[in-house]
Parts: sequence; structure tokens; C-alpha cells
Amino acid sequence: MLTLSLALALAAAPPDTTRDRPRAAQSAPAITVHSQPALPVVALRMSVVADDPPGYAGAGHLIQHLLLHGLEDQAARVGGRVQAIRGADAIVYTVVGPATELDYLAGILRSTLRPPAVAPGSPGMLQALGALAEERSTERETAPAYVRAALRAQLFPAGLPAAGTDGGAARLQAAALGDVWGEIYAPDRVSIVAVGDVTMNAVERAFRSLPAASAGRLAASDPDTIPAFEADTPQATRGWIGSAWRGDSVDAAAMSVTARLLRTYLRRRMSRSNVEVEHWWTHHGQALALVVATPDSLVRAARGTVGGALAAFRPTVNEEGVRAAARSLRREMLFYSRTPERMAELLGEFSDRGAGRDATQRYYAALDAVTEEDVARVLDQLAAGEPATVYVPPQRIPPEQRR
Amino acid sequence: MRIRTHLAAAAALLALAVRITPAVAQERVFLRPEPGTPVVAVQVLVGVGPVDEAPAQAGISYLAARSVVEPVRGTLDSLGAHLDVDQQKDAIAFTLTAAPDNWAEASRVLMLSLFRDPVDSTATVRQRAAIVRELAAREASPADALERERAKAVYGADHPWGRPAVGTATSVRAIRVSQVDAYLRRNFTPERSVVAVVGPIDEGEARDALAGHMPAGELVTDTVPPPAPADAPVEAEYNAITTWVSATWRFGPESDVEALRMLAQLALDRVSFGPSRRSVYNSRAEVVRYAAGGELRLTLVVPPGEAEQWATQLREAVNGYANEALPAAVFQERLRRFRGERLLQLDLPEQRAAAMARSALLGDRGATLVDFTRLNPERLQAAARELERPIVVFLGPARSQGDGG
Repeated sequence: MLTLSLALALAAAPPDTTRDRPRAAQSAPAITVHSQPALPVVALRMSVVADDPPGYAGAGHLIQHLLLHGLEDQAARVGGRVQAIRGADAIVYTVVGPATELDYLAGILRSTLRPPAVAPGSPGMLQALGALAEERSTERETAPAYVRAALRAQLFPAGLPAAGTDGGAARLQAAALGDVWGEIYAPDRVSIVAVGDVTMNAVERAFRSLPAASAGRLAASDPDTIPAFEADTPQATRGWIGSAWRGDSVDAAAMSVTARLLRTYLRRRMSRSNVEVEHWWTHHGQALALVVATPDSLVRAARGTVGGALAAFRPTVNEEGVRAAARSLRREMLFYSRTPERMAELLGEFSDRGAGRDATQRYYAALDAVTEEDVARVLDQLAAGEPATVYVPPQRIPPEQRR
Repeated sequence: MRIRTHLAAAAALLALAVRITPAVAQERVFLRPEPGTPVVAVQVLVGVGPVDEAPAQAGISYLAARSVVEPVRGTLDSLGAHLDVDQQKDAIAFTLTAAPDNWAEASRVLMLSLFRDPVDSTATVRQRAAIVRELAAREASPADALERERAKAVYGADHPWGRPAVGTATSVRAIRVSQVDAYLRRNFTPERSVVAVVGPIDEGEARDALAGHMPAGELVTDTVPPPAPADAPVEAEYNAITTWVSATWRFGPESDVEALRMLAQLALDRVSFGPSRRSVYNSRAEVVRYAAGGELRLTLVVPPGEAEQWATQLREAVNGYANEALPAAVFQERLRRFRGERLLQLDLPEQRAAAMARSALLGDRGATLVDFTRLNPERLQAAARELERPIVVFLGPARSQGDGG
């Protein structure tokens, strides 16, 4: 029997492994420390849990583009690395470097909380806006990204893409970024996860004070909406079929196991197609998404298989399969989190969804308890709703252009 | 404040070395218990390679390695374990990553396949075909072409290490199953192997798990013939619009490897892309260690017309550190960066297992991971001074074609 938790080999770990401490003051962040004394390295992940201000979609990611280059230069001075990610739940920066440089690395992260000092129309601003525009078009240019984006838009219309919208970008171009940041940042939205050879006290000292929230505020604006997908023509050499079911109230661990089982089942049935089954989970909700790429000659059959996937799959679920899928997911989590950086990412992502700071460990333990009945309940709840669907036909070369 | 930081670093790194413990009765097994690390990484380093191969059978070590583990891959998959096989000049690395609850079982499966099970003929035929396909595809790669030319230039075309360690498509295609079987029985033995284990392990249990596969005894190693390096820069023609310039400095077994690693990074900084070096498309520094020493390699990708000039700059980048010791303050600033980069090179448990196994194979009883705590400007300068003339290789279009700007 697996006795591990994702707090990973806890029994043998030092006493302060994975400790949370509530914030001491309004200006102090929530801190989680996972002690990994194996190497004198620390990964610090800082998240600001916030949506972009209404009408300014893409604001958080734009600011990340503006800051990232400078952050990389600062981290390089101590041989460290920086990563910036705009997720559906939070604006996230992660820095990793020697544990002896904890204060310096924490200073790099704290610097991102100050209002950005970039003038509208400056070269840096134009470059960052250009990068964002490229990300927006890339999302609709290729079939795999397009299918996922279109499914997300149907299931979670409030979940705007990280790169924002054209309308949001136009407003950001002229906005005072200090005011934009004022709408996003407040000290009580900040969470820190530290993984490595550090103690809670040292991390608390390193983040003992955060910049105060900015007084700047934006004028009220209409919220952004996700632009329609109909006009886009993604590149596809095969037929792409997407189906997704929303299941906000289902048990997350059971949903993950269901997705894994369904993937195994469909890959056996659709051996000439490429099949992915994914569990999507953000603060907007949960969904099970099925994305299939199939040769032109098999499109009709594949669409039929995808349409009836849940019903056909259900009778094949058995306890042995559920146990194997849960074991495989747990081991993948362990394997993925084998660097301090990735462990911090895993611990932080669960916490950013609002499920509490021990959410990762609870999920890891819950995987081990998923039963055949749990999977059946997930399938019932998913089947009760209407699925989101997307189809991208394979592009055909017109006869007159063929040689 | 700065002094305290460095002392803290020194303390941490000394502890890093101390925690590595060779299991008492097995000088070839090294354990590093790491509470808090989520997986266990095991590296079995078998000291077998081109020195053991007849020239006509170049690549038989790699073929044998891939063939012997193929039948157990399914079992390892079912245990959720990951296995990689990497042929190096002087050894084959089998790297296993597994969950803490089943790493011992996964290791048992791997060790039995390496040291007990006979080779499976179907697996050998399948792996031979796969390797031939892979090597044929890699022949067109400039990185692989450079590696082949560099090996020939540094060791000599007739030296075992002058050949590609994985063989060629032609040589591997000609190897028979019976030859693989005989080669495996003769060379893949526990006496020629070291094992390093990193992760949340109990030392006693780990020792017990490995004892049956790694009987006590001294490590048996190959004798490597002396190299016959090229005495002038080598020009290899390659159909491309850029030229790869490689400079390789060989060093001896007693060289200060950690200082050489730092030197390689510092020298690379002087020739990498930057505002005043816009024509450097790519750059790379490497320090590799073998039983008889090792190599410091610097590689640049530049416009063909500038190749000669960049070869000179590579030499000067290293010589500059030999001529003059860095001022203490500048050195501390560079060391601060180097320390972080070195630590992050070890942030995966399998990287730590590999570093330990390599040190152990080279006779370091402490299987030291890193050794930069006592680096100073004098050590850096001394390491640079020990290096002799580099062996330079150009890979690119013929000079007459490449000067068009």
C-alpha cells in the first residue's frame, strides 16, 4: 500500500516539512514551506490570485512580459532562473536559486508587486503588446490550441484567455499601468510557496513586508468577452474533434481517474487516431475534455465514437482499472514534482484554486480512495449536462491547385 | 553580511558531501538518503564502451545495453518506473527513476536483466533495427557531425574513443545476435559497475535490496590507450550556411575539475552572443571527465567568414584567465553566479545520482557532487595555466564558398 502523501516521504522528512502559517499581518503573504534539504537550493513561487480588471483582459500577462527580462537578468547574477505564468487563477512568478540567496531571490519576487513604471507608447510597452497579440493569434492558428480554446469558451465564458482580447489590448495601450495594477494587486491576494533547503522563519523574514496596495483605480469599463471563433480558420491536416463536459461539483480526484480511464479506453478503440482526455480544473470550475485528431477517412466514425464515448465507456469501468489509473496518476505526480521548482508549482496551483493550502496533499490522498462507484457518479453527472463540441475539418487542397 | 552568506554556503555543501555514504561492505554502491525528495533515482554505471569493442563491432556495447533491458521495459512501466540508457565513452549509464514504494523492486528487475538474464534474440534484432534508423537519421545533424569530427581530432581516428561511442549505422547493422550475447556475458558484470541511489531511502533497506546484485569487491576498470590528437586545426566540410567552431582542451586525471568548470563558464561568457558579438548564433561550454582526465570543450556557431577569428577568440578567452588572476571582488561575483548554476545542474535526483556514479567510477570514494566551496582566484588561474594548446575543429562550408557575407 502506498503510504506516501504528496508531502512526500513525510515520515522521513524534517519536522517542518510542508508547514503553513497564516498571514501575520495584512501586509504579509500566506506562506507554505516544503522542506527539501537534499540540495542547498530553494524554489520560491509567488502567486497573486486575481482576474484581470473588467475591460482590461490580458493586463496581468502584459505586466509579466514587461518585467520578465529584467527579472531574468537579476536571477542570473546568482545563477538562478525565473519563470512567469499567467494562469486562469493567478499571476505567478517562480524563481529558483541557491538557498543561501533566499533574501535576494525573495527581493526579485517582491519587486514584481510594485506598480510597473512603463509609459504608454514606450518601446518596452509596444514590444510586450506585440508579444501578447502573437500569443492571441497563435491560440487560434493551429487546430490543437483552437479546439481547446473553443471548448473552454463554451464551458467557461468568464474565463478569458491569459493573452486577453484585442479590445482589452487597445485599452491597455493607453492606460496608466499603475492604476491597472491597483485593480489587480492587494497584499492579501499574495501566496508564497517555498520548496527547498529553507525554514519557515527564514521565508517569513524574507517576505515580512509587501508593498501596500496602490490607490490608483481605473474608470469603470464594460467587461471583455471572448471573441467569436467562427471567423478563424485553424490549420489542420486531420479532422479535429473536441467534446467537453462541465462537472463543477464532482470529486476532483474521481474526475482525474475518470479522465485517465477514458483515455485508455478510447486509445484502444481509436488506434489510428490521436486521443487526449484532460481534466480541466480552475477556480471557474471543472471539466472533462476530449480532443481527438483523426485521418480524413475516419472522421465520420470518429465523430460517432466521440459522441457516444461516455455511454460506451461506462460498462467497461471496473475496480481493478480504477486502482491502476489512480496508482499511475499518483506516480506521475511524484515524478513530475521531483525538482523544487515543480513541487512548488504543484503545491501552489492547487492552493490558487481556492481549495486551501493543503489541497495538493488531500488530492493525492483522495486519488488512492477513488472507487468504481465514484467514477460511475462522475460519469452520471457529466452525462446529465450538454457537452460543448467543436469540429475542425481537415483542409483540402482544391483540385485546381493539385499537381 | 557577504562573509556570513559564503560561510553558510560552505557549510551546506560540506554537508552535501558528507551525507553520501558508500555502503560499508560494497565499495561500488553509493547511497544518498534524501528526506523530502519525492522519487528515488538509481544510476547503474557499467564501465563498458568502445575500448572493449573490436573496430568492426563499433556500437555493440550500446546495442547490448538496449537489447538487454528491452524485455523488462513493460515490467518497469507497470511499476511506474522510468528507464534511460545512455552510452558514454567509457561507460553505459542506466538511469532508473521510481516511486519510493517500489524503487527496490524496479532496481531488482533492472539488475537481473543486466547481470543475469540472457539476451533475447527478438529484442536484439528489434533494437538493432531501431538503432540503425536512429543513427542514419542523426548522420545529417551538424551537432552529431561535429561530435564525430571532434572525437577523431582529439583522440585520433584509430583510437577507440575516436569512434562514435554508439557506433555507426553500418557497424551496428553488421552485428549478429550471437556476438551481442557473447559480449554481454563477457563485459556486463557487477565488478565493472558502480551504483548510486538518491532519494527518500532507508540506508539499511537499500543496502539489503542491492546486496544480492552487487557483491563486494574492487571496481574493475579498462585501460585506455594514449590518444593521438591532431596537431593542426581540422577542417571538415559540411553543407550549411554557418560554421561550427570547436576548441577542446584535454586535461589530466589530477586536474582541478571544479575550477575548470568555472573557467569554461567564464570563457563562454566572453564569446557568447551579446551587443558586441551579434554574429555568434549559438555557444556552448562543457567539461566532461573520464578516467584518464577529461575535456573542456567550447563550441560556437558563427558565419563561415568569421570562423578563424572566433577560433582565436576561443583560445584567448581561456588564456586570459591563465595570464592574470581575477581581482577578489570580481571573482566573488562570478563565483556567486557559478555556484547557483552548478547547483541547478543537480536539481533533478537523477542528475545527482549520475554525478555520484561518475565520481565513483573515477575512483572518488566520497562520490562528491560538487566541490566549489574552496574555489578562489588562484585555483582558477592555476587550472587555466595547466591547459595546453586546444584542438580546433571547423565544421561548415568550404572556405571559398562561405565568405559571401
